[in-house]
Amino acid sequence: MLKMQQVAKIYRTDTVQTHALNDFSLQVDQGDFVAVVGPSGSGKTTFLNVAGLLEAFDTGSYQLDGQDVAGLTDRERSKLRNEKIGFVFQSFNLIPDLNVFDNVDVPLRYRGFSAAERRERIEAQLEVVGLTGRMKHLPAQLSGGQQQRVAIARALAGAPRFLLADEPTGNLDSATAAGVMALLEELNSKGTTIIMVTHDNELAGRTDRAISLRDGSVQEISKQQLLAQA
Amino acid sequence: MLPYYFRLALLSIRNNLWLSLLMVAAIALGIGVCMTIVTVNYIMGSDPIPSKSDQLFYVQLDSWDPNGAFREPDEPPNQVTYLDAMALMQAKPALRQAAMAGASLIVTPEDADLKPFIERIRATYADFFPMFEVPFVYGGGWTQAEDDNRTLVMVLSKTINDRLFGGENSVGRTVRASGHTFTVVGVMDDWSPVPRFYDVTTNPFEETAGVFVPFNLITELDLPRNGNTNCWKPSGDGMQAFLNSECIWIQFWAELPTVTDQQAYLDFLNGYVLQQKELGRFQRPLNNRLNDVNTWMDKQQVVQDEARILLVVAVLFLAVCLLNTIGLLLSKYLGRSPEIGLRRALGASRGTVFTQFTVESALIGVVGGVFGIGLTWLGLRGLELLFGDIVDNLVQLDWVMVASAVLLAIVASILAGLYPALRACNVQPAGQLKAQ
Repeated sequence: MLKMQQVAKIYRTDTVQTHALNDFSLQVDQGDFVAVVGPSGSGKTTFLNVAGLLEAFDTGSYQLDGQDVAGLTDRERSKLRNEKIGFVFQSFNLIPDLNVFDNVDVPLRYRGFSAAERRERIEAQLEVVGLTGRMKHLPAQLSGGQQQRVAIARALAGAPRFLLADEPTGNLDSATAAGVMALLEELNSKGTTIIMVTHDNELAGRTDRAISLRDGSVQEISKQQLLAQA
Repeated sequence: MLPYYFRLALLSIRNNLWLSLLMVAAIALGIGVCMTIVTVNYIMGSDPIPSKSDQLFYVQLDSWDPNGAFREPDEPPNQVTYLDAMALMQAKPALRQAAMAGASLIVTPEDADLKPFIERIRATYADFFPMFEVPFVYGGGWTQAEDDNRTLVMVLSKTINDRLFGGENSVGRTVRASGHTFTVVGVMDDWSPVPRFYDVTTNPFEETAGVFVPFNLITELDLPRNGNTNCWKPSGDGMQAFLNSECIWIQFWAELPTVTDQQAYLDFLNGYVLQQKELGRFQRPLNNRLNDVNTWMDKQQVVQDEARILLVVAVLFLAVCLLNTIGLLLSKYLGRSPEIGLRRALGASRGTVFTQFTVESALIGVVGGVFGIGLTWLGLRGLELLFGDIVDNLVQLDWVMVASAVLLAIVASILAGLYPALRACNVQPAGQLKAQ
């Protein structure tokens, strides 16, 4: 499904080279719920950006849903990203000028769906996240938890193979975070593959599998180790 | 996707109203100033008779002072003498030809309630009307026989006919003018070519004359002439002495449809001048010329250099406005980097983002163009107020100029938006998503 082999990502300035990902190899299969943990600067976000085709990598290989992504044009990468990947961000990243309906509509527009199909998908996803009654609300009129639910609905509306979540509960209070986590678990139970970057080892412990990043390299970590570090 | 981009553009304009208005104002001002000057230049330089401007030729005969050209280095006079005009008219070597000059009449309306008025007239020959394709509402031009017989006939402009006869068919009716009774033979439809190409020796942007009479009546009735008269030696006393002098005051046009006709006519002119040389006239080297309508307009600098310089200044002003717009667009688009990053993450390619922002630039251009047309109209009215009747014909905004203004605004704003849109589509999504 998602297969990275010996991927390296180096950030260069005139004087400094930073190895954000170093000999990074990982395979994530259909239906997995993988937590990515690690200290700040360990390469978690870089991994998510490379996995989400938002950044190119320098060496190694990366296959997404069986397709080698190296050498794809910007247009091809954008199409692949739109069809295969859904993003959920720590700060929700909703467009403040668009209402809930139109925010969820954004990736579907780029997909080229008809108006009727878009409406059907948006309404279905908003029902999944329990926000059918908030379609015409602007993001500023919603709570943090509701905004994150909208972001999840937006990520899932195009039925992607992967959901990449970057600290999805990072800006939420514990009760709301628990609700969002429960939603992600429910989505995973229905077959959505999720990769979640988190600082919260307790949340990471609730996933099928956890990996730890340190200095750009990956290592599997057991639930016991996670709970011990929690 | 275009309707979606259009909707996003409208939303963006609404949400950044003041910034958007500033851009619209910059474009509108640039377009307004530029199009005001372009309109004046466009009308000045337009072909006044496109259907046959390459078949109508203005005649120049170099009868000027042997000690110096009419205009250095070797430009022949811009009008002809009475002697030469009469000789050419009698020889009639062209399909059609007409000598002409401006004059004036005091017209006394039949209606006693209306006061007599002085009217500018054009004294010319019968060929004038078919040669210049003058349209008529009633009747037509006079005949060659009426030219030869010096018959007191006249053709009225529609305006004068409205004034004297309330717009009725006045053909056959009479008009008292300068103590004589003229019979109306025709009423022209609206006809006011701009520039007034058939006589650019005075203001080429004046309205056409209100009354036309046979040329010979100028001498027959001793009508006061309007227009420029230039003499390189004293003309002597009295009307007859003036007519026999080397003073130039008559414009002369010939219709020469083919190159063969043109060459034959020039040969005729040269032959005529050689003949005159034997009589002691035309002491300068042989230098007769035929100029078609547009060449003649260029030579006479109907579009003056000052107008061209003003046009360059106006275009530069538009460029400055566009530079301002570029800065404003850049600020606006890069201010939306987080949204751009998000859209890229959700599947928008660089091309998609570029198109979205280009549509927004174009929309700002359309609005700027519409306001620019308003400013152009105001600018032209301002010129009219400033210069009065002499620019009446130059300050007309036709649909070509309106369409050009909108098109120019769209093209200009898209050009202005290219760099900001390029910057926008190159926003790195990864950096923006974490930053929010």
